[in-house]
Amino acid sequence: MTGRKFVFAACGLLLFASSGWSFYQSRNLEEQVVLSPGVTEVKRLGDYFDGIRGTVNDCYVYIMEGEEPGGTVFVMGGTHPEEPAARLAAWLLAENAEMDVGRMIVVLSSNRSASTATRIGGAYPPDFTIATDWGERTFRLGDRWANPLDQWPDPEVYIHYPSRQYLAYVDIRNLNRTWPGRPDGSLTERTTHAFMELIRQEEVDLFIDLHEAELQYPVISTIVAHDTGEELAAFTSMMLSDMEFNIGMEYSPPTLHGLSHREVGDHSDAVSLLFEAPEPFLDATRGKTTREQLLTGKDEFVVKAGEAGLLYEEIDESGWPMDKRVGRHTSTVLMTLELWTELNPDRPMRARGIPLYGEVLEMGLGHWLHDPAAAPPDRVVIE
Amino acid sequence: MMRQPRFVLGLVALVVMLVGSNGTAEAQDPGVMGETPVLLTSCGQSPGPTFVKLFLGRLGYDHELKETATAQDLLDAQAAGTPYMTVMIVTGASLKGMGAAGVSMREELIRTEALIAEARRQGLTVIGAHVEGMDRRAQGAAPGDNSDEQSIDAVMPNSDVMVVRLDGNEDRRFSILSDSEGVPLVLFEKNMEMGDALAKVLKN
Repeated sequence: MTGRKFVFAACGLLLFASSGWSFYQSRNLEEQVVLSPGVTEVKRLGDYFDGIRGTVNDCYVYIMEGEEPGGTVFVMGGTHPEEPAARLAAWLLAENAEMDVGRMIVVLSSNRSASTATRIGGAYPPDFTIATDWGERTFRLGDRWANPLDQWPDPEVYIHYPSRQYLAYVDIRNLNRTWPGRPDGSLTERTTHAFMELIRQEEVDLFIDLHEAELQYPVISTIVAHDTGEELAAFTSMMLSDMEFNIGMEYSPPTLHGLSHREVGDHSDAVSLLFEAPEPFLDATRGKTTREQLLTGKDEFVVKAGEAGLLYEEIDESGWPMDKRVGRHTSTVLMTLELWTELNPDRPMRARGIPLYGEVLEMGLGHWLHDPAAAPPDRVVIE
Repeated sequence: MMRQPRFVLGLVALVVMLVGSNGTAEAQDPGVMGETPVLLTSCGQSPGPTFVKLFLGRLGYDHELKETATAQDLLDAQAAGTPYMTVMIVTGASLKGMGAAGVSMREELIRTEALIAEARRQGLTVIGAHVEGMDRRAQGAAPGDNSDEQSIDAVMPNSDVMVVRLDGNEDRRFSILSDSEGVPLVLFEKNMEMGDALAKVLKN
């Protein structure tokens, strides 16, 4: 009997140690950023609000000052790290974009805490690797919500501030349900408050929040626009749908609170847009939750769901590869900047170095991820 | 990297879109059907009216967008001595849009029916539009969600002319309606050709 107990205890310890090691490695994986020549300043979120300084969410803020003055765009990746094309698209901006006119601010890990854990019970891979021209780069996968190690416990009911709207309890850790935040709130609320301070202090004109969505979610392959951004979003949607790929537009509901496309527009002078790209990895009907599925977007079960008419976006055996999803975001950002300048000639923005959809498809997103070993040490940041 | 050609291409496309031309809109040519001012509204609260508004604005057409325009709006304009001449109703349903407006599809249908009835009473032109392709058809909605088709049925057979983006007619839904109801159908292929289509049926 004692021997049996010993075996069980040893197995338990083995599981504890191996999973603990995996969690530790994932949480401490060093993600490198090779700064684009266009990055003129690197700040921390804590520079805008002391209440976030030194926390896990005190993320880097990359600023690209243009050669000529103009408007300011803030592109945010990593709101939901389990939507990696959004984060990688922002990565491509940080490593490649240069502003000729105006200013671009980029954040890659807006809820950095959420990048340090995966979905509990979701069997997510902890990370994924992108092949590059010189080798490979590995990134954390992350989750939709901040890590419970950083913010716990959740309330029975999450009451959004300041609307007092009742939301799902777990969404108190969801960065896109806690806008505009508050200075004395939870970690996630303090994070959105800090971003609002950034938006106000940097006088951001245009705010873009990058996302991905499951194909069973009706708000997909679209731009969700605050009232003040409807014209810009409509133009962008029409131009891209004619020239590159189909993308729709949706209004931001004024009574649905906590989301960036609503609250940033309501609580600042910035025009707020949210871009959604398709990610079959998030679909509930998916098959194996593997790195391959994440990167290729191929899933026979999601295809079956499409045949049953359950999806809001098309999918076939070719899936939704990461290059395609990232390229949609980079092209949508570029088109938005071009049309912003048309509509707001007094606050122009013009960027270069950012790959278009067709270019990402042709060369692969890894082509635009640069070798940290070949870069000057002062131009490499551990994200 | 091709950004400059793309930027130029984008600008050229934008100019074509804004100014309008005698482009390639595949269409019946019913001639001008309506005059300005136009009351632009939605049946289903999709963003379609925003798309149409952009072109009406760039064409310089006098118009007003009221997403939930009612028969009373027509009566008020008439009483004020500034009546609308055309009512343009863009079909296609959006749950987000209806949520934003705080209305249900049933309320949308009731409002639309009354609006069209008042337009008829005042002798106004009614233009039905569908400008977002198959994404705003039942095929692009949740299983069992027929609200896109309901909005089409509420508006299109009761219109004087239909303006439709070609890909939304993939199943010939609007062609069949046109044949059976005798409502002329103006089709356009690309978003950027919407201005041409509107200029064919509206004059300032």
